[in-house]
Amino acid sequence: MLRWACRLSGLVIAAMLAALILVLANSALPAIRKFGAGFITSSEWRVNEIERPLRGPDGKVVMGEDGVVMEILPPAFGALPVIYGTAATSLIALVVAVPLSLGAALFLVRVAPRLRIAGPVSFLVEFLAAIPSLAFGVWGLFVLAPMFQNSVAPLLRRILEPVPGLHWLFFEKITVAGRIIERPIPLNGRDLLTGSLILAVMILPIITSVSRDVLRSVPRIQIEGTLALGATWWQSCVAMLRYARSGLLGAVLLGLARAAGETMAVTMVIGNNNQISASPFAPAQTMASLLANEFGEATDGMHRAALLYVALILLVMSLAFNVVARKLVVGRPSHAVH
Amino acid sequence: MGVIRPALISALAAWCGATALASEVRLSGAGATFPAPLYTRWVSEYQREHPDVKIDYRSIGSGGGVKAITDKTVAFGASDAPLTEKEIAAMGGTDAVVQFPTVLGAVVAAYNVPGLNKPLQLTGAVLADMYLGRISSWDDPRIKELNPGVALPALAVTPAFRTDGSGTTYVFTNFLAEQSADFKGEVGTGKQVKWPLGQGGKGNEGVAAVIQQTAGSIGYIEHNYAVANKIASAAVQNKAGKFVSATVESVSLAGEGAATGMKGTVLRADAWNQPGEKAYPISAFTYVILYRNLDNIKAGADARALMAFWWWCIESGGKYATEMEYAPLSPSVRDAVAKALGQITHAGNPIPAGR
Repeated sequence: MLRWACRLSGLVIAAMLAALILVLANSALPAIRKFGAGFITSSEWRVNEIERPLRGPDGKVVMGEDGVVMEILPPAFGALPVIYGTAATSLIALVVAVPLSLGAALFLVRVAPRLRIAGPVSFLVEFLAAIPSLAFGVWGLFVLAPMFQNSVAPLLRRILEPVPGLHWLFFEKITVAGRIIERPIPLNGRDLLTGSLILAVMILPIITSVSRDVLRSVPRIQIEGTLALGATWWQSCVAMLRYARSGLLGAVLLGLARAAGETMAVTMVIGNNNQISASPFAPAQTMASLLANEFGEATDGMHRAALLYVALILLVMSLAFNVVARKLVVGRPSHAVH
Repeated sequence: MGVIRPALISALAAWCGATALASEVRLSGAGATFPAPLYTRWVSEYQREHPDVKIDYRSIGSGGGVKAITDKTVAFGASDAPLTEKEIAAMGGTDAVVQFPTVLGAVVAAYNVPGLNKPLQLTGAVLADMYLGRISSWDDPRIKELNPGVALPALAVTPAFRTDGSGTTYVFTNFLAEQSADFKGEVGTGKQVKWPLGQGGKGNEGVAAVIQQTAGSIGYIEHNYAVANKIASAAVQNKAGKFVSATVESVSLAGEGAATGMKGTVLRADAWNQPGEKAYPISAFTYVILYRNLDNIKAGADARALMAFWWWCIESGGKYATEMEYAPLSPSVRDAVAKALGQITHAGNPIPAGR
């Protein structure tokens, strides 16, 4: 009886996931049909229709027999800016968070037990994971962004702007009426970089705690073996990391999945502009923040379908990260290192 | 009508009172966030006189309101932007819809420029170029020219905009598009547009957060919201060439000029950039949307109660609007609304005017 109940629960969860994907795909169908795979590579996201004078290749208005020739730009939905925003913020977050997390995990496994503080530190790391993302967002908005705007950005600008080849960090190009304008990016702390830093803080706990568990499962004999062979303490740590590398990669992927799907905190600090800018100081948008911003008011059919298409891509991506990560963490540790 | 109405009202009041006591009326509406505080106030004032009528208004945004009334999940919808041809068709065509304005609101150009000794004066063309990226510093000669004697800092301009679809964006983009052909061609008009640069925020509160925290920012928010949160906003040049700040009076004046085109049951009028020396140029009506035949409401008594509420709002709601910094409708607009409301039926039966 109980066995059947358990089986049923398992089935319900699997069915829920399947239903989620099916419903999303079905609702996104108009957009999938219309844009297909080009959705992923197109960078224009505009809900309104624009009617304007047609301009020739020279930037001049084209004149027809009855005066100015008009062109109508229909609404366009391309997901490249938000895919870029998600990828860039997640990668920067990983670059910041992974070294810190691995260091913290090593500390918890190799150093903290000797100092008898493994318990409290582990608790703190897990506590960090339990803080609601909104709290991180508020902290980013009211502490991190103003700090960046008032102290870090002026310093960066003074030091880096004169450096040749770094001009692109501080200027953006905008096309207006056929002409390109270059203007300074206002460094106000609501940008891709701040979004990434918030994400880094948010994924620290999960990467740290999974890494800690992975490192703990490294057989004691492995560590003692390296020490017996004359390895220094540091060399034995490196050997330990190499032994556990597939599990650690899994931990990193779990962090990546969390970073890609994180919504509220990022929405509050990323600047929410659907654009691709080379500079990390320019506002950007992630898939999740786009949905948070636009879904509530998306009443036009194609706009809604396009947003659901983005949601579907995000879901499939997160699912893929999670599946690979689970395989790596739960799977047998590699025996390549001896 | 003026003679007949009081008699009708008292007769109906007695009749409504008699039937409504038997059962409580529950009605729901959804839509625009901009008039939400006023609608909530209207409901609570109305309930004081009619404790048996419960009206629940959810401020989910103009787009959501149009969707809800189209899907017939609410008794009435509310929107800052008038229905489009497409939206009217989805509801069953012009003959099936009643749309009427309730009050006027204004969109202000709010800014955060430290150290100013006077409020700023701006024109639509200058605002458009700030949003297009052509004016990138606050000490730009074109801003200086409009503000003689104001010490403007060499600070980068950060435009702030709404990321969610909103009537506020609709009004603001329409105003700018009328003032700048390049803005019309690059950004266009609508409840949600693609801004070439700047910072996005969700809702008035999101844009206000950007403005308050970013030195050098300029953003568009609802007048009431700016007043309530004490955010400085610019005087904007109107059609007569005068710089006018948003106030209840200046916004009301904009509505008067716009009223002439209101005919039929689907009332709409663009109130931005109206003539008049004292009219505030970025003003707009906010609308309530009903079915002309209220079949989305089951009971006839409920439909009559809903109409009684709206009659009361149009006739007696103005003073609460003024108290809350909304601009009430002028008498000529109220007449057009009364005509439209008189067309409403339930199950084919006309619903007499009055409370």
